[in-house]
Amino acid sequence: MSIVTSRRFWLVVAAIVIGLLPAIFTDSYWRTNLIVCAINVLLAIGLDFVLGYAGQLNLGQSAFYGIGAYASTLLITQVGVPFWVAFVAGVLLAGVAGVFLSVFAVRLRGHYLAIASLGFAVITYQVLLNWISLTQGPLGIYGIAPPPPFAIPGLPPIEFSNLASLFYLTAGFAFLVYLLLDQLVRSPVGETLTAIREDEVSAASLGVNGQKWKVFAFAVSSAVAGAGGCFYASFVGTLVPDAFFITESFSILAMVIVGGMGTLIGPVLGAILLTVLPELLRGIGDLRLIVYGVSVTLVVLFMPGGLVQAARLVAARVRRPAKVGRDP
Amino acid sequence: MTGAGEILLRAEGLRKSFGGVQAVRDISLDITGGTVFAVIGPNGAGKSTLLNLMSGIYQPDAGKLTFSGVDMIGMPSHRRVRHGLARTFQKIRLFKQLSVLENVLAGFHLHHQIPPWQYILHGAAFRRDRERCRDDAANLLAFVGLKPRAHVPAGSLSYGEQRMLEVARALATAPRLLMIDEPAAGLNAAEVEALLGRIVALRARGMTVVMVEHNMDLVMRIADRILVMDYGQHLFEGTPADVQAHPGVIAAYLGAEVR
Repeated sequence: MSIVTSRRFWLVVAAIVIGLLPAIFTDSYWRTNLIVCAINVLLAIGLDFVLGYAGQLNLGQSAFYGIGAYASTLLITQVGVPFWVAFVAGVLLAGVAGVFLSVFAVRLRGHYLAIASLGFAVITYQVLLNWISLTQGPLGIYGIAPPPPFAIPGLPPIEFSNLASLFYLTAGFAFLVYLLLDQLVRSPVGETLTAIREDEVSAASLGVNGQKWKVFAFAVSSAVAGAGGCFYASFVGTLVPDAFFITESFSILAMVIVGGMGTLIGPVLGAILLTVLPELLRGIGDLRLIVYGVSVTLVVLFMPGGLVQAARLVAARVRRPAKVGRDP
Repeated sequence: MTGAGEILLRAEGLRKSFGGVQAVRDISLDITGGTVFAVIGPNGAGKSTLLNLMSGIYQPDAGKLTFSGVDMIGMPSHRRVRHGLARTFQKIRLFKQLSVLENVLAGFHLHHQIPPWQYILHGAAFRRDRERCRDDAANLLAFVGLKPRAHVPAGSLSYGEQRMLEVARALATAPRLLMIDEPAAGLNAAEVEALLGRIVALRARGMTVVMVEHNMDLVMRIADRILVMDYGQHLFEGTPADVQAHPGVIAAYLGAEVR
């Protein structure tokens, strides 16, 4: 295995890129976008675990995102819990909500699960909107503090009101989750989830308890989305239910599909592209929504495997330039 | 391999109806360890339903089913695999997008020896397990003659190769009893010979094989016992010689072919 194709090499490159990004983008506008990118990467790889690997068409990701955001924020503002305790609680609560939804996933397949999970997202949104005594409803929650400063003995404390440090925190966490999921999918767990995705009856004939593994995939996926929600709340400083409307589920779905389902790097690329692209297109006004929509449609039409498939085709072409006309 | 010579699987009065159709009516059988047990009968005789009852895809409406003394009634199919029951499917159900090797690797689901934390931090035990699984998978693929095809997608294999891959994948679960549903369907003569050789080799290792099959030549050559079913019912059970001599069987089933 040459160094360029080794996994470790690319992980180090990714870590260096994350380290350099705030130095390249010094204005607060782009640093804000970088943090949004990191949060979207979290949401996308979380969804990919349950959708791309376990094959469960879950459209409830916006709900888990919102549950993580509201749970952690309310624990901080109403109960006075420290940030990191609230963070863990938010992640766990989102995970528990995922387990709750997976109870339906065990009975429902394909389109039916999609509808049920969408219903869950609608209900969660309505609760956030209408339980005014708890969530302030459409008025929103304001003045949410950033994560507390992180003190390393002998060094000045790291302030997360600073966008660059906040980016390092969210991107570093996303990187960690990526590593964790990457290890999981390259273990027999990956084989098991893929077997369920491909054919559940067949997987059962090999001893796979489909129900148990679906619950596991939903729990992991929704806990990751919950973590994204916690970071979102402390970064934006304001929570309104509209941030967790069902369209958010579809945005995350688009990132996973455009990037390439069933790979982990694909959703990362998809999340970055679909976060940055609308910003780059701001210059052309409302036309940007059309360009955005058309480009997503074109990718799905001509490159159903997403960016990862495109990259593989290019790599194959580079390796064997002589053999023309062997395209799949 | 345990269980050679003793009753491994016992069914008593199994019944299964779908709507008004009684697919399996009052079937009882004893399958001896280390033998090849064939189930034959005309189309719609209930053979596949019987296999689905034994593997746990369906639960019977009535009757008893034990496997090496353990009650199987109510037990879902994935639990039965733990006890040593494995199967292939009449309508091939491979993981078509995955490679041939990955299909077999998925079959080791119950046999990994990895401490839980090493699923996240791959250590020495993890690497040992992976190596062992790869070696075992390579051996299984060599056994069914698919080793050279290990890295192609399972969906790109020929029909006969796909059937053999299903056998290899089922063997990965380390079963004591292997149920194969119409393994020779769609196979050419050479492939049937290869299949026969594999089943004989499995039996020589002490494996118990239950086979639903239409290919009479194959059944007569390797089965130790044959159950003949007709309209969901037990018509006759005996050795190949008994079956060929039984007038009722010839009338109901073989007659059309012997003529």
